[in-house]
Amino acid sequence: MKHPMRNPWIYTLFIAPTLILYGLFFLWPMVSSSYYAFTDWNGLENYRFVGWSNFARAFGDPDFRRAIVNNLIFIGFSVFVQIPLIVLFALLIASVKRFRGFYKTTVFVPSIVSTSVIGILWGFIYEPEVGPLNRLLALFGAGPIYWLAEPKWALPAVLITNAWQWMGFYIVLVLAAILAIPREIHEAAIVDGASGWQRALNITVPLILPVISVVVMLSIAGGMRVVDIVLVMTKGGPVGATEVMASYMVNEAMGIDPNYGFGTAIALIIFTFALVLTSLYQMTFGRRMQGGEF
Amino acid sequence: MNKRLGIAILILIVTLSAALAACGSGKNENAANGGSPGPSTGGGNGGGTSGSEPSEDAEPFTVSLRHIQIGEAQKFRKAILDDVVKKTEEEVPGLKFELDGVEDQVNRFTKLPAEMAAGNPPKIFDLFGGAGDALKYAKAGRLLDVTPIIEELGIADKFLNLSQFTLDGNVYGLPIGGSTEGFFYNMPLFEKYNIKVPTTLEELEAAAETLKQNGITPFAMGSKGAWVPLMLVNTLIGRYAGPDAIDGFPAGTHAWNSPEVTAAFAKYEEWVKKGYFTKGELGLEYADMLNQFVTGKAGMMFDGSWRSSVFRDPEQAGELTGKVGFFPMPPVPGGKGDQTFVNGNYSNGYGFSADLNERERTAVKAFIKNMYSEEMQLRGLLEDGVLPSMKLSEDALGKVEDPLVKQIMEVMRQAGGAFSHFDSTVPSEVYKESEAQIQKLIAGQATAEQVTEALQKVQQEANAKS
Repeated sequence: MKHPMRNPWIYTLFIAPTLILYGLFFLWPMVSSSYYAFTDWNGLENYRFVGWSNFARAFGDPDFRRAIVNNLIFIGFSVFVQIPLIVLFALLIASVKRFRGFYKTTVFVPSIVSTSVIGILWGFIYEPEVGPLNRLLALFGAGPIYWLAEPKWALPAVLITNAWQWMGFYIVLVLAAILAIPREIHEAAIVDGASGWQRALNITVPLILPVISVVVMLSIAGGMRVVDIVLVMTKGGPVGATEVMASYMVNEAMGIDPNYGFGTAIALIIFTFALVLTSLYQMTFGRRMQGGEF
Repeated sequence: MNKRLGIAILILIVTLSAALAACGSGKNENAANGGSPGPSTGGGNGGGTSGSEPSEDAEPFTVSLRHIQIGEAQKFRKAILDDVVKKTEEEVPGLKFELDGVEDQVNRFTKLPAEMAAGNPPKIFDLFGGAGDALKYAKAGRLLDVTPIIEELGIADKFLNLSQFTLDGNVYGLPIGGSTEGFFYNMPLFEKYNIKVPTTLEELEAAAETLKQNGITPFAMGSKGAWVPLMLVNTLIGRYAGPDAIDGFPAGTHAWNSPEVTAAFAKYEEWVKKGYFTKGELGLEYADMLNQFVTGKAGMMFDGSWRSSVFRDPEQAGELTGKVGFFPMPPVPGGKGDQTFVNGNYSNGYGFSADLNERERTAVKAFIKNMYSEEMQLRGLLEDGVLPSMKLSEDALGKVEDPLVKQIMEVMRQAGGAFSHFDSTVPSEVYKESEAQIQKLIAGQATAEQVTEALQKVQQEANAKS
């Protein structure tokens, strides 16, 4: 046995600790807690087995249905608004020569700031009376908008904050892909007389599609499980206007009338949704964009 | 060739066992701390009265204490707690309290329920009475029955009202103070616009109208936390449907969707529509409501008597220091029952974990002795404006000088009686629904009729279960 690394038992030995930990702290809790989704356990009293009624209750609750819609809005916003902007900003930053590092750092900063800080910061920006946003609007004669207090404005306000927080992260990701494109391709295009826009659209974007595809997938997964920014800024309010599935779960599982059984059922629903959506995406657009199956 | 394999395995085993050993020793240490309570020092120190034992000899132990006295407005309460903690630590050898300050709502609705579920609440914690809090935890066996302790200390019959902590004749928590809810008003503003203190609903609404005409919000409000508007709703229910309605919901004698209760919500709805509350209230916290009032943007504020201490502290009340008055909700036309009743709560206090060892029990007993004394009750009243939860002598009560506290006590004295808050009488699911519904009402997404119908539905389901 000159090459111990070729022995499958060695591999088993090395990955065993990881597998054990993964099973112990991830798989087992998931499986064992799934059981509670079929009970009415409130954490204190004895529980009963209630079958699928938790799931029926969730889908029968208009508040939860609205939460699902809000999650879809989060996904839609990030895929159709954020991602084009991300690509645009990445292209812009890639094409400047001076201060590129500065821009790169600046856009990245929000994603290393804690969500609580961002929530409070934007709470000031949206402050109806003295907040800078309303003051700016007042210059144009617009009356004060109660950003986080009015149901119709709260969701856009949270969406913008969430976008602001995460765009920089993806911009840096896309930027790295753009900068990895060999110069020769661009030089050849320039020789052929292609303009800047033509090169961006016909060379850069197709070549970074695999990265964009990953960004889309991460955005979908992120949109499914978004919760922290919602809890910090609005707690799902006003009147459920910004409620997403995960904040609904937090409010139902904990809070005034805790119901851990119901909360677990919601968690399973979120898990299933995220799994189905991401795998659907992978099986359709994702695979095509990553190349190989044109 | 097997040498390398052997070494690899050996390294793995050593690493793993080192890791496991680290876990193991941690456990042992814990066991050593908690498991051997040194009977010679801890036990038998009944009530911690002696205090003569030199504390250096005692093996140190800690008792966790969760309180909600955080922030500027709570500083007087925190000072009292600190003194009690200090005194108790001096009396019980080796005792060290581990204070953990958590915001009220977070503690009551998020942290404590989760800890109760997991079975690891702090040893002493801030607790609310009533069906959704103390009684629920008591039923689940999580709370210490303090009946023997207060009997031994001789304070069992000193409390004004223990009903919200009493289950089957046993007491599971002790209220730290009492409170009533009513209107605080800005005296200079009332003077400026020639408004006199309202004694009828008509006068109250006229006052609101006058303030509004002059560009001042009549009632400060912050309803991001739905319990804030529900205080006013609760008292309106007490007026329109009568004082016994609050206890009548769970008993089934009063229905949420009855015309009287609906009238209470309808009045609130009317005031919302007339713009009597702070604009954008759904985005404002409880603390924002106080700011609205203190800065003079609003002329009145419906809040609990516990807020009174703010208005004599120049650091918090600024120019408004000493210029705030209090009046109860005036009688309403067509209201049922005695219209002089006021809201009265003895619901916030301390609870204790059922899971205590001998020494921790001693600490809890000493804590109760020091916290629930005439001295501390009087300090709470004088320094903090918190109405006592225990009987105080006329002599002691006469020491009150703060005019606002005097006014509040006068309101209570003149009242025909007190009704509690429905958040302590109805089951949690009904209370939860009431929070959701009041916000819908405020946002204009539901009418008073729809709100009360929805509440009655949940109440009936809950009543059928029990």
